[in-house]
Amino acid sequence: TVPSFTGTADLDALLGKDLGALRDIVINANPASPPLSLLVLHGLLCQSYRVLSSVHVHSSVSSVPPQLLSCLGPRHTDSYSRQRFQLGFTLIWKDVPKVQMKFSTQSMCPIEGEANVARFLFRLLGSEPKDPIVATQLDSWVDTAFFQLAEGGSKERAAVLRSLNSTLGRSIWLLGHEPSLADIACACCILQDGKALSTPANVQRWLQACRNLEHFHCITP
Amino acid sequence: MTKEQVKGSSAEEEEQQAAQSKKALKKQQKEAEKAAKKAEKQAKLTADQQTTEEDDFAQDRYGVCVMLQSQEKLDRSLVRVCELSPDKAGQMVWVRARIHTSRAKGKQCFLVLRQQQFNVQALVAVGERASKQMVKFAANITKESIVDVEAVVQKVEQKIESCSQQDVELHIQRLFVVSQAEPRLPLQLEDAVRPEVEGEEEGRATVNQDTRLDNRVIDLRTTTSQAIFRLQSGVCQLFRDTLTKKGFVEIQTPKIISAASEGGANVFTVSYFKTSAYLAQSPQLYKQMCICADFDKVFCVGPVFRAEDSNTHRHLTEFVGLDIEMAFNYHYHEVIDSITDTMVQIFKGLRDNFQSEIQTVCKQYPSEPFKFLEPTLRLEFTEAVTLLRSAGVEMGDEEDLSTPNEKLLGRLVKEKYDTDFYVLDKYPLAVRPFYTMPDPHNPKYSNSYDMFMRGEEILSGAQRVHDAQLLTERALHHGIDLEKIKSYIDSFRYGAPPHAGGGIGLERVTMLYLGLHNVRQTSMFPRDPKRLTP
Repeated sequence: TVPSFTGTADLDALLGKDLGALRDIVINANPASPPLSLLVLHGLLCQSYRVLSSVHVHSSVSSVPPQLLSCLGPRHTDSYSRQRFQLGFTLIWKDVPKVQMKFSTQSMCPIEGEANVARFLFRLLGSEPKDPIVATQLDSWVDTAFFQLAEGGSKERAAVLRSLNSTLGRSIWLLGHEPSLADIACACCILQDGKALSTPANVQRWLQACRNLEHFHCITP
Repeated sequence: MTKEQVKGSSAEEEEQQAAQSKKALKKQQKEAEKAAKKAEKQAKLTADQQTTEEDDFAQDRYGVCVMLQSQEKLDRSLVRVCELSPDKAGQMVWVRARIHTSRAKGKQCFLVLRQQQFNVQALVAVGERASKQMVKFAANITKESIVDVEAVVQKVEQKIESCSQQDVELHIQRLFVVSQAEPRLPLQLEDAVRPEVEGEEEGRATVNQDTRLDNRVIDLRTTTSQAIFRLQSGVCQLFRDTLTKKGFVEIQTPKIISAASEGGANVFTVSYFKTSAYLAQSPQLYKQMCICADFDKVFCVGPVFRAEDSNTHRHLTEFVGLDIEMAFNYHYHEVIDSITDTMVQIFKGLRDNFQSEIQTVCKQYPSEPFKFLEPTLRLEFTEAVTLLRSAGVEMGDEEDLSTPNEKLLGRLVKEKYDTDFYVLDKYPLAVRPFYTMPDPHNPKYSNSYDMFMRGEEILSGAQRVHDAQLLTERALHHGIDLEKIKSYIDSFRYGAPPHAGGGIGLERVTMLYLGLHNVRQTSMFPRDPKRLTP
């Protein structure tokens, strides 16, 4: 089995003092382009914390496919008491141009873009690289994923696939021996498209390894 | 000039005089000409009038009808104004409508015919079918009179922006007044639909609330009022339909009751033969008795009375309550889910079926569209307190929300979740009525909830105590005379299922859905401490 994302996180240290109320992370996403990376990260958060997950449909969208309504898994049996949870993960399907996260509305502006929200959620796991070089590499892969893989043209995609292939020739995961947000972001952006056109061998192997990670089940049928 | 001066005048002066008299002569002549012309005109006019009486070829095509006493049953179908569309072009139709405005212009007279929220432009022009006199008659019909017209539907080249039927106009062939309005209206409909801001800018008249309510019948004719009350009817219907589908039974409860049901709000006392009775503040007790009588899921639509002397934008002394009571299996959240789902179905129904009404109201009272989440967002009271404290509000753990805090909380919730509708659960026990079930995990709190629309409370509900003994304890704790509520407590002695419920104010829901600012706008004939008529 693959080593999972282990870290020691103290929510009080990461998010400030516990004020006695549920810390609810609100994510607005457009059902036309579901943020797969955030669904994977949600699964990881559930492993580390008691997370109250809920999915809502905003009045700005009228019909949402049923699989998106249950994308955070079945309702927690304790969900009648919000106070019993450490984190709230509230996913709202809404007509928004970009994925948006709202957390502490009094002190934080809304965070826009799936990449940035993914970084925030990943840090809550406390397993981000401590070495500044590796941390920057991670950031760079995340940018590559969302700007070039997800939004780029076919030439750009092909170029990224080549560089992925050569990197994955040297190590199992993008940043070395352990999977990280870099792998989640890149894999999700390739999978999102559906047509994994002529992926090179190393990338194929790595994609399969990603699929084998526990929390990819929610996005790959 | 005086006589002496004339006598002693020199030749020069004489000359002058002669010139002057010439001028005077000319003047006289001119005046005479004028008089002649006037006389001529007069003569022509009288002649005209004579011809009016004599040869008005369109005489039988217009006029004031005799009072309609159902003398005959005409086989004539009246077309609705909203159905007048380009596909009827060229057709001859009969329409009954009100004269919204009329504007005569030489040989033509333009009328705007109104029927409920729809209107259409109509035209009477001198020609083969209509005489000069008929045009004059059309121009003189008082505003708001009801007329029957026979007309040809005609496509127009340029859209008529001021009417709801923009693509067609009516060319009137016949025109009969069915009911004449008095010439002076207590308020002008155009003034009553003018958006407030615009009115101030242009220095034009707007009608204030009291004038509107004093002349409610006319005010209700405005497009805005028509839309508001059509939408309100929709709320009621959606409420009924949704609950009926969920297996609820509609019940009717008495409004004249023998004892005040709850503390807090004051009650109206009415004399009842040799004793006195009260007007019901809520059908609460009766709903609960129906639950004890195995009706399982009930709802009730009917008047509710509050004798609170509060003159605010959101209080009425009589309003329509939409009440729900439901037995549940294990957790009162089953009831919350049922109520919130009903509300969401209402919002969706309004969003999908009443868009034109919403737009109409928005024209006069602009507001953001109503936003909601499905399933409805549920927060707990302690979260609300934390949210408010982080916004700088100082309040105790078990303190009830003040109205300004409710509004602030609404804004905070909207900021984070972008919803105008949410549920606040787990209120402190101390601020709720005696029949509220305490929270099993923390006796300071209760299984009670409020629902909010645009930051204002629309529903207050709770799991009720269904155990006679606990109910007695709670009543004593609240200092309630047990004798007075004996029959209520007794209903729970013979097996009572766990149940919960809540009541919504129809006027408030309509007001807040549309983003209006005064509940009197959504009450057809509002009752408040200062108003008992109309």
